[in-house]
Amino acid sequence: MRFTRGIIALVITAGVCWRFPLFHVVTRKTATAENAATTFNARQFAETFWTKQLPASLDKTVKAAVLLSAIQSDVATAKRNFSRSVGLSEGYFYFVSGTGRVVAVLDDEISLAVTAGSTNAEVSLQTGLIFGNTLRDGTGLLNASDYPNSQDFNDIAAALNHIVETRVLPKLRGQAKVGANISFVGCTEVDDESADLKPLKVVPIQTEAE
Amino acid sequence: MNANARELFKKLQPLIALAVMVIALALLSDKFLTFANQRNILLQISVNLCLSIGMTLIILTGGIDLSVGAMLGLAGAVAAGLLKSGFVLKAFGVVLQFTPFGAVVAGILVGLALGGFNGLAITKFKLPPFVATLGMLSIARGLTMLWTGGFPVTDLGPKFGFIGAGVLLSVPMAVWISAVLVVIFYFISRRTVLGRYIYAVGGSEKAAAFSGINVNRVKFWVYALGGALAAVAGLIVTARLDAADPKAGLGYELDSIAAVVIGGTSLSGGRGSILGTVLGCLIIGVLNNGLFLLDVSPFWQQVVKGLVILAAVAADKLGARQE
Repeated sequence: MRFTRGIIALVITAGVCWRFPLFHVVTRKTATAENAATTFNARQFAETFWTKQLPASLDKTVKAAVLLSAIQSDVATAKRNFSRSVGLSEGYFYFVSGTGRVVAVLDDEISLAVTAGSTNAEVSLQTGLIFGNTLRDGTGLLNASDYPNSQDFNDIAAALNHIVETRVLPKLRGQAKVGANISFVGCTEVDDESADLKPLKVVPIQTEAE
Repeated sequence: MNANARELFKKLQPLIALAVMVIALALLSDKFLTFANQRNILLQISVNLCLSIGMTLIILTGGIDLSVGAMLGLAGAVAAGLLKSGFVLKAFGVVLQFTPFGAVVAGILVGLALGGFNGLAITKFKLPPFVATLGMLSIARGLTMLWTGGFPVTDLGPKFGFIGAGVLLSVPMAVWISAVLVVIFYFISRRTVLGRYIYAVGGSEKAAAFSGINVNRVKFWVYALGGALAAVAGLIVTARLDAADPKAGLGYELDSIAAVVIGGTSLSGGRGSILGTVLGCLIIGVLNNGLFLLDVSPFWQQVVKGLVILAAVAADKLGARQE
């Protein structure tokens, strides 16, 4: 009786597994190819963004001197006119450009004076390791809701940070000498207005020594 | 109050508590009785209900399982990993690409195996349930981290996601799943031989053994079923988030034990029911929801929940002493 019941259970299980297979067997090569085709490639996406989409938008920045002047007059108005924010976050971003004279070169930042006659550090170009979403969110070109999950969107931020660390910062460090003039385009994130606005902490996207 | 009335009052205690809470919250918050909020409460308790059904069976035998949250996490992670990346058989140069159905089956089998391991540790090696399942908590958490590398496994697809986020006849799938499990396990506990054995073992292990019940086998299967139910909860959580979070299920065992105790199941075993646990889950769900609607600080929510658990256990002990 027990043997018969066992056989019946086995037949039912086999029937269910035949109708609803548990898995498909594929070669590793096929699996890798299928995986690559369906997996979001953040590095590739960041590369296309960096070389095609971003250069076309570099003229949509606010000039650093204009922004600093606006901030000095009224932080709230400057924020309303020039910043962008993501979702419900209280932090906000500026997509900023300008030219400034190097007043100091530190381990992980280069300080620039950008307004006429100023000798103070008004903009600080970040040259250390780049963390966070400043680049991804600061340009306003990428929208979180365009991506199926937050992991992919976060991977884009990491890939963009990596591009800056490997392509922009080595050149910038080579150009940075006190007294030199440097033009830049970059993004800045403001979480704490008292700390992040004086000076403006800018993650550079493009720099040029003049 | 005579003995019958006292017994009836004791049985109705969770229901009375729930009714009082519902009336109070309906008066205090105009959002509480809305359809969307009621649906939300059911959705939120569905995971705890899956865990608590298994926990009820375990506590009925006089045991306890502290590893259900960790087993939930591991089962969800295994299912997500198999669905996303398959299982590589290096020696044969092939990959087993799991279907959503296959991933679900694998997840449940993982839960069954882990629960079975708990059962073996308790019955064969005579470890106290508290210690055995505490060990499993650590083992399952470690295995989850090893399997996922500490990162979430995301993007599992709409078919798998239907388990947690799908809707059938305007009711979330997670609620359907937990409701079906309640019916099945209510039937098992009340109408099958295994169910009667579970109550007998919890009432008195010695008496159960003398009357010919294989106590170890009953305990083994109760822990194995607890693991399988934790796995179902893990699949719901993973599907609902469309991601397996390596830290999923952290602290869920406490909510589960609380629901069982509040529902009237005695921590010393032998007394309680699946329906009581359903009420316990509803009480915890309504309590969480109500405190949230009333804008009570999450820190105070923890304090209130702890006090409710203490009150439930104290009432149980007081009742036992009176008897």
